[in-house]
Amino acid sequence: MFSERERERYKRQMMLFGDEGQERLKKAHILIAGAGGLGSPISIYLAVAGIGTLTVVDKDVVDQSNLNRQILHYDRDIGRKKTDSAEEKLREINPDITIKVIDTTIEESNGAKLVGRADGIIDAMDNYPTRYLLNDIAIQKNIPLFHGAIRGFYGQVTTIVPGKTACLRCIFPNPPPKEVFPVVGVTPGFIGMIQATEVLKYLLGSGELLANRLLIWDGMQAHAEEIAVVRNPACVSCGKKNSTKTVPAGTKKDIKGKKK
Amino acid sequence: MTVKVRFFARFRELFGTDIVTDVQNGTSFIDLIKRIAGKNTEGYAAIFDENGSFREFVVLMQNGRRIDCADAATTPVADGDEIAVFPPVAGG
Repeated sequence: MFSERERERYKRQMMLFGDEGQERLKKAHILIAGAGGLGSPISIYLAVAGIGTLTVVDKDVVDQSNLNRQILHYDRDIGRKKTDSAEEKLREINPDITIKVIDTTIEESNGAKLVGRADGIIDAMDNYPTRYLLNDIAIQKNIPLFHGAIRGFYGQVTTIVPGKTACLRCIFPNPPPKEVFPVVGVTPGFIGMIQATEVLKYLLGSGELLANRLLIWDGMQAHAEEIAVVRNPACVSCGKKNSTKTVPAGTKKDIKGKKK
Repeated sequence: MTVKVRFFARFRELFGTDIVTDVQNGTSFIDLIKRIAGKNTEGYAAIFDENGSFREFVVLMQNGRRIDCADAATTPVADGDEIAVFPPVAGG
């Protein structure tokens, strides 16, 4: 049920998906791995949309050089834990939802516990080792991983539904070399919005997810390219375990959003 | 025969994209990309290692189907193929 304040707050989107849809968002728990360039816009928009519980995990403190893109953090937050900064902003943005923050590094030893009983994981990380770990946890828990990554004016984004779509390792078995990547804030803003839209569709159980499709965005050309991806039967992450329930690529009905 | 090679992300900056080229029958995946990449030293080094093999993170697709870097030397391209070559991006 919704308070009068909630009804008013969500009025314009409840025109789209009604009480039932809003209820689905309210009951949901999404884990956002990273409160940086992608995690900032994603957490802001999921908060205003009324996702009932958001858990934000990050290990860093705010640095001046973050501020060109990490819009959850302000100049006054420099030196402060990103989780503290995120918690304060998100609570102010929407006091009607639950914000949890965890100031830690996501590792193999704590990953599954951090994700807990979340309904989905947002990949807002900046490195592949942690992404692969989140991918494995998503497969293990049978929850979706909303992948996004950026560099410069480029971004890539896809929705991974364990057992139904190619996983992150099917698509990218080997990580690119580590680097201090160039980036301008609009790129994670754009890619993050696709990820957040995917989360809403998944929770609402409507629309077509970006499943088995890798979207590559080239901001300089203002061009989005879609590449079909397929599961790798020999994938080290999802290959053996899920090989019995492989869904033929392109079976769209099986890749609809979550049913509640 | 004719194939189309599409580069994405940083590889696009280096090579452009939608390169339509004539190839001989039996040309392998790696030979085709080497021929195109050979015109650009920086680009070549971004895709190939010092032994002339694909760098292991490079993603290769033939008509939407992934080609393992290790199989690129033995996989021939076919007339009308659309080939995609791109690096994963890592930032967040």
